[in-house]
Amino acid sequence: MSTHIGIGFSRHIDSQQAAKEAAFQSKTNLGADRIDTTLVLSTVHYDPRVSVPIIREILNNAKMIGCSTAGIILSQSIETRGIAVLTITSEDMKFGAGCVENIHTLDTSQSGVELASNCLGDFGKHGRQIFVFFVDSHLKNVSPLLRSLQEVLGSIFPVVGAGSCDDFHFGDSFQIFQDKILKNAAAGLIMGGHMQVGVGARHGWRPLGKPRLIDKADRNIIKSIDGKRACHIYEEYLGEETKDLRSNRLGQMAILYPLGISIEGGKEYLLRNAVDIEQDGSIVCQGDISQGAEVHLMIGNKDSCKQAAFEAAQEAHQNLLGKAPKLIIILESMTRLKLLSRTAFQEVIKIKEVFGLNVPIIGMYANGEICPLQSSERFKKPHLQNESIVILAIS
Amino acid sequence: MIASNLLLIVGVLTTILFTVLSLVLVNRIEEVHRLQGALKKIKRSFDDLDEQAKLIVKTDLELNKAQDELDKRLKSLDALQKTSRLISTTLDENEIFRRLDQSLMIDLGFEKNLVLVHDEDKILHGRVNLGFSPEEIHFVLTNLEKNKSLKQAMEEGHTFSSVNSARHEREAIVRLFDVEHFVLTPILTQNGIIGILLVGNRSNAAAVTEGDEELVSVLANQIGQSLENARLFEQVYRSSQILESKIQDRTRQLASLLEEVKHISRTKSEFISAVSHELRTPLTSIKGYAAILITGKLGSIPDPVKERLEKINTHSDNLVKLINNLLDIARIESGRVEMKMEKCDIASMIESVRDLLTPQMREKNIQWQTEVDKNVPELVLDKHQIERVFINLVGNAIKFTPEKGTICIRVHRDTETATMEVSDSGIGIPKEDLNKLFDEFYRVDNEINQNVKGTGLGLSLVKKIVEAHKGKVWVTSELNKGTTFYFTLPLSP
Repeated sequence: MSTHIGIGFSRHIDSQQAAKEAAFQSKTNLGADRIDTTLVLSTVHYDPRVSVPIIREILNNAKMIGCSTAGIILSQSIETRGIAVLTITSEDMKFGAGCVENIHTLDTSQSGVELASNCLGDFGKHGRQIFVFFVDSHLKNVSPLLRSLQEVLGSIFPVVGAGSCDDFHFGDSFQIFQDKILKNAAAGLIMGGHMQVGVGARHGWRPLGKPRLIDKADRNIIKSIDGKRACHIYEEYLGEETKDLRSNRLGQMAILYPLGISIEGGKEYLLRNAVDIEQDGSIVCQGDISQGAEVHLMIGNKDSCKQAAFEAAQEAHQNLLGKAPKLIIILESMTRLKLLSRTAFQEVIKIKEVFGLNVPIIGMYANGEICPLQSSERFKKPHLQNESIVILAIS
Repeated sequence: MIASNLLLIVGVLTTILFTVLSLVLVNRIEEVHRLQGALKKIKRSFDDLDEQAKLIVKTDLELNKAQDELDKRLKSLDALQKTSRLISTTLDENEIFRRLDQSLMIDLGFEKNLVLVHDEDKILHGRVNLGFSPEEIHFVLTNLEKNKSLKQAMEEGHTFSSVNSARHEREAIVRLFDVEHFVLTPILTQNGIIGILLVGNRSNAAAVTEGDEELVSVLANQIGQSLENARLFEQVYRSSQILESKIQDRTRQLASLLEEVKHISRTKSEFISAVSHELRTPLTSIKGYAAILITGKLGSIPDPVKERLEKINTHSDNLVKLINNLLDIARIESGRVEMKMEKCDIASMIESVRDLLTPQMREKNIQWQTEVDKNVPELVLDKHQIERVFINLVGNAIKFTPEKGTICIRVHRDTETATMEVSDSGIGIPKEDLNKLFDEFYRVDNEINQNVKGTGLGLSLVKKIVEAHKGKVWVTSELNKGTTFYFTLPLSP
């Protein structure tokens, strides 16, 4: 039996109506009575307490995960307001969903284990192909969660994920698992069975200025760079006082100029957004930083973004090993939406150049993307990235 | 000796080695100096590169800021254009607010917006709301009334924004609306302020700009214009509804009156018909007996009696004529007389009427003229009735035309009718009598009518007969010059 994919979208102003329209459209496009799994992406303009129960009811309480996003990526448009619903039914593919709550208070390594175990419990004994998850982007260090996830899931298949977010206010976001609307949580989905998955990821940001040395770092906190307070790097480049940076402007400015960590033996830079500046001038990043690593301020532009999208699509396509894609899922940094702005859809055009015009596409703009850094590592280690585009091709 | 030689050799070798080492050392020191120089150059290059990088970042920041502003402007302009189109295509005030609600929320991109509009009693009400609870709106409405200076400035058309307003004004508005960044502008029409529009954001990340201020002012103007159009339309619509209602009432009243008149007329006709019948039978007997008595068959009668009997006979004839006319009118009105329509040459009919009335014309030496348009075809009519029309009209003309006067009958063809004219050179009819001339029993008050008896039914009968033929009758007259009666008959029935 073939795999059925249905995507529905609505930008109706009313949460109830938008949920209804998106769910019915998805169900209609699916063209099957049974629904195996559902992915819900919603901008923060909609009340999930209203929309989620409606979607659940229309889609027969199928397995569901989702989250809030800064924008929704579709085959035909980029939407900064709306609800999108993806439904999948397949005899070949298997799905297992789970979640973990209170990740801020839990030991983060424990939360990874719990999330993976819950998903595996639901998945059963099938061949695992990929793990996709959404996590509250307010979690200041995702790295321990990633390590513990892989301890349970193993390292033979890719782990990809996205940080839920709002509309560039860097306020509250939400995660969805079944009928639960969660904060401070992660919801994941293991996919497996007879399917092929291709993952590609790039960011397109380039180093700017002289290399600097992280001479003191503790997990995700950079204490000092080149013997100076870490925040000095931003003070220097952005020309702003730390107290000003610490206000709302940090989120707005730092996402455009992340820190790039050189990786030994790799061509790519691992990008880290500065999410906060502490009183002593330390920079708090979303993921771990190695002490002694070389760091650059990074800069991107529209052309490099589009090129990165194209290369990520090519990489995902190659990893499909010649199979025809049935669905493309894009997890992309909200920074790229800000940078590309009105031209954001050109990335989708680039992706279509690789996969063809008729493959259904659904995606989201996230605050933090999780993916294997390079395809050559063969999915050994998922990293938290910023400013990147992760393309997941499913066949 | 050997030892001294060895010492010499060692000394020489040591000197050579020392020299070589010194040379190498000097060379290395030079190399180190060269490398140090190169390192300095590289460091300087890095520093230059870093300075350039800082410049690039600053330029990039400015570009991004400009792009943000441009994007926001474009989006806002698009939203404004869409909003304007939406609200200008309806003339329903509630629909304007409904559309405004959606478009503002979706496209203008402000966290909070509030449209307050005056009702008929000049009291503000919240009509569009995003991000305000009912309690907050109540707070705004209550405190806005208290802030006289702000209210006054708004009434004068002043726009406030977090970009341009004075500190005390800004603080007052922030307290009132709980928005850090805002544009507050009056909604104006030609008759002054009808409401206010506020848009704003709480987050520092979404500060409003001067562009926003201009844009929101334009939007407020557009809202004002649309509301004014809607209200004008409402007024016109209400007026037309009232007018229509009045017309309908009047029409109903008129229809009712018409029915009443018809009913009265019918009753009158029936009454006249009944009475006339009842009168005619005894009158025929009276006339018959009078006639028998006059003949003397029942015995000779003295001359004074005979004279009185002849008067009875003559008055009886007049009375019969009056009753017959009344009966005819009543029958025609009630539709009980069926017109015997047949083709008729109108010229022949006029000649026949002339023959009939020639003796009376001769008595007054009146000249008769006839002008009949040859294009008038044979008309379909009731010969007897139309002949009565001519006899009545010509009879009247003879009556009111002095001796040696002229009576002229003209017939000409129009597009769909033939028009007959009977004109005389008589005494004419006063203007004020012309409208009543065709009323039953109406007689013009003049010397001739005072001396000559008449029923006052002749012209009424003429009108009924002509109308029964789907024609029209009217009259023109000039005192002491003459009168012309016109009537039309259709060319085809």
